[in-house]
Amino acid sequence: MFEGWLSIVVFLPAAAALVIALFLRNDSHIRWFAIGATVLNLVLIVITYVDYDRSLGGVQMVDRYADWIPVEGLRAEYLLGIDGLSAPLVLLTGLLTAVAAFASWRITLRVREYFIWLLVLSTSVLGVFLALDFLLFFIFWEIELIPMFMLISIWGSGRNRYSAMKFVIFTLGGSAFMLIGILALFLSSGVDTFAMVSIPSEGIKGIPDLIAGKDLLIPAGVIWFFLFTAFAVKMPLWPFHSWLPDAHTDAPTAVSIMLAGVLLKMGGYGLLRISVGMFQETKGFQVQDVAWLLATLAVISIIYGAIVTLRQKDLKRLVAFSSVSHMGFVVLGVSSIVGVGGTVTDAGLNGAALQMVTHGTITGLMFLTVGLVYDRAHTRYIPDLGGLALRWPLITVSMVIAGLASLGLPGLSGFVAEITVFLGTYEVWPWLTAIAAFGVVLAAGYVLWMMQRTFFGPRNERFQDIKDANFVDMIPVVALVISIVAIGVFPKIVTEVFKVGISELVRI
Amino acid sequence: MAPVIPAIAFALILITGRRLPGIAPYLSIAAIVASFAVWIILFVTFLDDGAGTRSIEWFTVGGFEFTWGTTVDEVSLVMLGVVSFVAIGIQIYSLEYLHEEPRLWWYFALQSLFAAAMMTLVLADNLLLLYLGWELVGLGSYLLIGFWWERRSAAEAAKKAFITTRIGDVALLIGFVLLFRATGTFDIRDITQLAHAGSIDETQLKWALIFIFGGAAGKSAQIPLHVWLPDAMEGPTPVSALIHAATMVVAGVYLVVRLFPIYNMVPDALDLIAVIGLLTALLAGVMALAMTDLKRILAYSTISHLGFMMLAVGAGFPGVAMFHLLAHAFAKASLFLGAGSISHGTGETDIREMGGLWRKMPFTTVAFWIGALSLAGLPLLAGFFSKDEILLAVHTGRLNDGFLVVTFVAVAFSVLYTGRMLYRVFLGQLSSSNEDAHEPGIRMWAPVGVFALLAAGLGATAFEWSHAYMGFVSWVTDSEEGFHINTAITGVSVVIVVVGLFLTWLIYIQRSISATAIRLRLGFVAIAAERKFYFDEVYQWAINQVVLPTARLTAFIDRAWVNDIGVDGPGKTTRWGGGVLRYIQTGMVYNYALGMVIGAVVLGVIWWSV
Repeated sequence: MFEGWLSIVVFLPAAAALVIALFLRNDSHIRWFAIGATVLNLVLIVITYVDYDRSLGGVQMVDRYADWIPVEGLRAEYLLGIDGLSAPLVLLTGLLTAVAAFASWRITLRVREYFIWLLVLSTSVLGVFLALDFLLFFIFWEIELIPMFMLISIWGSGRNRYSAMKFVIFTLGGSAFMLIGILALFLSSGVDTFAMVSIPSEGIKGIPDLIAGKDLLIPAGVIWFFLFTAFAVKMPLWPFHSWLPDAHTDAPTAVSIMLAGVLLKMGGYGLLRISVGMFQETKGFQVQDVAWLLATLAVISIIYGAIVTLRQKDLKRLVAFSSVSHMGFVVLGVSSIVGVGGTVTDAGLNGAALQMVTHGTITGLMFLTVGLVYDRAHTRYIPDLGGLALRWPLITVSMVIAGLASLGLPGLSGFVAEITVFLGTYEVWPWLTAIAAFGVVLAAGYVLWMMQRTFFGPRNERFQDIKDANFVDMIPVVALVISIVAIGVFPKIVTEVFKVGISELVRI
Repeated sequence: MAPVIPAIAFALILITGRRLPGIAPYLSIAAIVASFAVWIILFVTFLDDGAGTRSIEWFTVGGFEFTWGTTVDEVSLVMLGVVSFVAIGIQIYSLEYLHEEPRLWWYFALQSLFAAAMMTLVLADNLLLLYLGWELVGLGSYLLIGFWWERRSAAEAAKKAFITTRIGDVALLIGFVLLFRATGTFDIRDITQLAHAGSIDETQLKWALIFIFGGAAGKSAQIPLHVWLPDAMEGPTPVSALIHAATMVVAGVYLVVRLFPIYNMVPDALDLIAVIGLLTALLAGVMALAMTDLKRILAYSTISHLGFMMLAVGAGFPGVAMFHLLAHAFAKASLFLGAGSISHGTGETDIREMGGLWRKMPFTTVAFWIGALSLAGLPLLAGFFSKDEILLAVHTGRLNDGFLVVTFVAVAFSVLYTGRMLYRVFLGQLSSSNEDAHEPGIRMWAPVGVFALLAAGLGATAFEWSHAYMGFVSWVTDSEEGFHINTAITGVSVVIVVVGLFLTWLIYIQRSISATAIRLRLGFVAIAAERKFYFDEVYQWAINQVVLPTARLTAFIDRAWVNDIGVDGPGKTTRWGGGVLRYIQTGMVYNYALGMVIGAVVLGVIWWSV
C-alpha cells in the first residue's frame, strides 16, 4: 500500500465532514453523502484489512512524518501504522460507523451538524486505533470527547446534558492520569520518544523495548495505575462504570452504537497495547503483579453487571449494563497474562481481543434494534411494551439474534470469544473463571426475560397501526447479522489476524 | 453430510418462508428424508468398513486447534437413525396436525434447524462441536416450545426450559474445560486414551465428569433439573414427541454413554449417576400418577424413563441404556402423537374429561396401547426386553441389591400410571363431551402406526441371532456378552406388570377400590405428589426471594450509592461550594472596595500589633 494510505483512511470521514460543512445545504443530500462516505471508508478499511500481510506480521503500512512537532525535548512524530491487534478493531470501527450512519436516517434536527460530528467521531476513533505515537494517540483520544459531548447533549433525550457532562468529566478525569503517565514515560532517562511500538523497518525503537528493565522517572507501578485508570474508565470496569448507563440511555441510537460498539474498545485496546504491551519487563513492577486485581475486577464487573441488568426496565439501560458485564470478559482474558509463558498459552488474550469485536457487533445490533423499537413505540419502558413480535417480526428477529449471540449461543460470535477467554483463563484463575461462567446463566436470564416481556405475549393493541422496519432500516441490521454469524461460524477471519498481533504483544 | 442438509433447508426456508410459505414443509421433509438416506448409506458403509472419523480445522488460537469433525460408530449410528427416522414421521404428522397454523413455515424452519443441530450433536467427534450442537438443540427447543408465543404460558415455559438447561450447560462447559485443561484436546477419542493411560489427575477427572453429568442431567431432565420438561408441553404436540421425548432429552444419556469409557474409571461418578437416575425414575413415576393432563403424564413418564436409562449407565451398562433409549423413543413417539390425535379429535387433554374413546378412535387406541404397554413392560413388546435388561444390569452390575428393590418399586409405579392413563382415557363410559371425537387423516395415523409397530417389534433385536450379532446390547458396545434372561427377575417383573394392571383395573374400571379413598389414606404424600414435590415452589421462591431482591438491591446501590453519592456527590459539593463562593464575587466595585478596606485595616492592625 502506498505511503499515506492510512491517513486517507483516518481522515476521509473528517474530509467528508468538511465538505458537508462547506458545500451541502439539503438535508437529504447530507444524509446520502455521509452514508456514502462511511461506506466508502468501510470499503477502504476492508481493503486495508485484506492487504495486511499476516505471514509478515508486525506493523505495516506505516505513515510517518518525523518532523511533526520539531521541538527539542518533545519529539512527537506523526506516526500511523496497523498491526494484528489494531486491524480487526479498525474493521469494526469502519463497519459500525457505516451502521451508525444508516441508523441516523431518521434524524431531522440540525442534520448538517449531526453528521459532521458523527464523521469527526469516526476519524478520532480510527486515529486512536492507528496512531502509534503516544502523543498522537492521546490527541485522538481527547478529540473524541467533543463530538460525543455535542451528539449526546444536543440530539439526546432525557437528562441528556447531565449525561453528556458526566461522560466528559469521567473520561477527562481518566485521561488526566493518562497524560501524566505518558509524560512520565517520555521523560524517563533513555526513552526520549513517543513511539508505542518498535518498527524495525523504520528504525524506530519503541517504548516497550526502551523501558524494559530500566528505572523510570517515577515507579513503574504508579505509571501503570495512571494509565490503567484511563482505560478502566473507558471500558468501563467496575467501579468506574457509572457514566455508561446514563450516557447510553440519553444518547441517540447511532451514538449508542458508536459508544458501545467502538468507544469502549478504546479502553480495551489501551489495556492490551499499553497496560499489557509495555509493562511486562519493567523494573520493579510488571503487569503480572496486578493480574489478580484485573481478574477480580473483571469477575465483579461480569457478575455485578449481569445482576444489575436483571432489574432494568429501560431497554437501553438494560443493554448498557449488559455491556459492563460483557466487557468484564475482556479484562478477564487479559488477566491470564500472568500465566503466559509457562504452561499457559496466550489464548486468554486472544479471547479478550475477540470479545471486543464480538461485543461491538452484538451490542451494536442490540442498540440498533432498540432504536427501531423506540422510533416506533416512542417508549423504551419494558412494562409498556410486549407482544411486539406479531406487529414487527423483522425487528423481533433481529433482537432475537442479537440476544442469542449475547448469551453466548454457539454458532454466533459471542460464544467463540467467551470459550476462548475461559480456556485461556481457566488454568490461571480456576475459581474466578468458574464464577464468571455463571455470568452466562444470568445473561440467559436477562436476555430471555427481556425478550419475553418486550416481544412475546399477547398482541399489543397500542402499536396497531405502526409498520415494521423498512428496507433502509434493515440494511445495517443485515450487515451486523452477517458479521455476527460469519465470526461465529468462521472465527478464523478475525482470530488469524489477532493471533499475529497478540503474539507480538506478549514478550515473556 | 447428514446435518448439513437440514441446515441448508433451514436457511432456504428462512429466505423463502414469508413469500412462499407453501413450499416450506416440503423443503423440510425432503431434507430430513435425504438425511435418512445418508444414514442408510453410512450404515451400509459402516457394516463394511467399521467405525471412522474425519475432521477439518475450525480455528486455532493460542496454540489450541479447534476442529469440526464427525465420528461414525455403533452408538452414533443408532442415535442418528432414531433422530432422522422419528423426525420424518413427526414432520409428516405435523403437516396435518398444524395445517391451520398461519406460521407453518416458521415451524418447519425450526424443525430443520433442530434436526441439523441434533445430528451435529450426535456425530460430533469432539466436545466443543458437541457443545455447539447441544446448545443449538436447546435453541430449537426454546423456539419450538415458545412457538405459540402469544400465549404467556408458552413464552414462560420456553424461557424456563432454556434457563434451567443453561444452568446444566454451564456445568457441562466447566467439565469440558476441565478435561481440556488436563489433556489439551477436545477430541473424545484422544481424551479417552489419555484417561486410560492415566495421564489425567484423578480428582480433576472426577470433578470434570461430575460437572459433565450436571449438563447431561439438565438436558435429560434429571432431578433436580427436571422442572422444565413438564412445562415444555406448552409446545405443539409433535414437538413434544420429537424433542421432549424421543431425541433431544436423551442427549444427556447419549453424552454419558459416549463418555462411558472414561466414566467407567471413576466409580464415584457412576454412583452419582445411578443414584440420581434411580431417584428420578422413582419420583417422576409417582408424580406421573398424580397428574391429570395427558401430556403431563407422558412428560413425567419420559422423565422417569430417562432416569432408568441413567440408572443403566450408572450400573455399568451403557449398551442397555442405548437399548432402552431406542425402545423408549419409538414408544414415546407413538404415545405423544397418539395424544396429539386425541386432542385433535376431542379438543381435550384432561384425562378426567375422557373415557371410552376406543369406540370413537379404535386405531389410535390400539397404537397408544401398544406404546404404553411396551413402556410398562408387557411381555414380548420392546419395552419388556429393555426394562428386563435394566433390571438385570442393576442386579449383575456394580450396584448393590438395595438399588434393585427400589428399581422394582419404580417399575411398579410406571405400571400403575400406565394402567390409570389407559383405562381413564380409552375404557369406561364415553364422556358426553367427546361424542363427536374422530380419527385423524392418514398423514397423522400412519406415523403413529409405524412407531407403534416399532415399539412392539424392536424387542426382536435384543436376541442373539448369530455369532456376529450377539444381541443389540453387545453389538452397540462391542462386547462379547450375549443376551440372557434371569428367570427370577423376569418373573418378578412380569408379576408386577400383571398385578399393577389388574389393580388399576379394579380401581378405575371396576371401581371396587375407591381412588379417592386411597388418596385420602395417603394424605400428605398424595398432595405432595400432586404439587410435584414442591420443586417449582422452591425454585420460584429462590428466584422471587433471593435472585430478584439481590438484583434490585444491587441496582439500588448502584444508583443511590455509587452514582448519586459517589459520583454526583463530589459534583454537587463543588457546585454548592461554587454557589457559596459566588456571593463574594458580586461584580460591584464598592463591594470589592469594601473588602480591600477591610483587608487593609486587618493587615494594618496585625502589622501594628506585631
